[in-house]
Amino acid sequence: MANALVEHNSGCGPLGTNVAARFDSIRLIIGLFCILLLCAGCTVRRATLNDVLTPEQVNFIRVGQTTIRELIDHIGAPDEVTESDFGVVALYYWSDTKSASLDFGTLTRLFLPYSPKMTLSRTGITPEQLQVMFDSQWTVRAYGFSRKSTDEPIVWFWPF
Amino acid sequence: MAFNKPLAGIIIVLTLTILQGCVVTRGTVGEPIQEDAISTIKKGTTTMAEVVSLIGAPDRIVRGNDREIFHYYYYDGKSPAMLLILLNFIRMDIKSDNLYVFFNRDGMAEEVVYGKRTGRTQFRLWPFGD
Repeated sequence: MANALVEHNSGCGPLGTNVAARFDSIRLIIGLFCILLLCAGCTVRRATLNDVLTPEQVNFIRVGQTTIRELIDHIGAPDEVTESDFGVVALYYWSDTKSASLDFGTLTRLFLPYSPKMTLSRTGITPEQLQVMFDSQWTVRAYGFSRKSTDEPIVWFWPF
Repeated sequence: MAFNKPLAGIIIVLTLTILQGCVVTRGTVGEPIQEDAISTIKKGTTTMAEVVSLIGAPDRIVRGNDREIFHYYYYDGKSPAMLLILLNFIRMDIKSDNLYVFFNRDGMAEEVVYGKRTGRTQFRLWPFGD
């Protein structure tokens, strides 16, 4: 019986191969369609301003010793210089804004002339800054980073 | 060969679909800072009026430690986007150049500070990663 089955299969080899190939193609198309459905209406946005400054990059600063010239030679010119009641402050700005949205109405574009908006969206704007305060001799009096929460994921559209 | 025709058609349609949603945007704020003019500023001799004639009026004037500080800035932003029928990627990269000229009480240039970042602004589309 087993021999007979083998004989039968060997007689239909090319047909079996064609069916398997078609089945693979169908699986591929269905897989692509599922990926398309998952991604449908998805928008990912990201905006970066200037380069990130890390605490490691400024650990050369010694309060009372480092001058403005040394600071600039290491990390470049500040984005803003302003005067406070306690002295001049140099500000370095940077940010990494991430935003994602998911529009459930997008799929209807494929078969309707009008696509209703059903969107979930979330944006995380994280402006950060390094503040360096100088005394009257342009020597660093104090410095510090702005508060920073944990990194937001890039694709995160749940607004609640 | 019969199989290749629909495949070629699919590839053409996909290519057209991808290309039709390409958007490239560039935005700038201010004028690029002329580095040649910066190098002509001599500490202790160049006056405030000469700096203005060389580079132009400053974008901001700051007072700090009893000194006048001229601030010039320039921003450059590049933003590619891919707006497909169902999926969109948008990315923006902005960087700034800053020039500060510190003047002493006599109105002479005392220190010149220039930082250039806009040379590193990139058209990067992929929003993931660093």
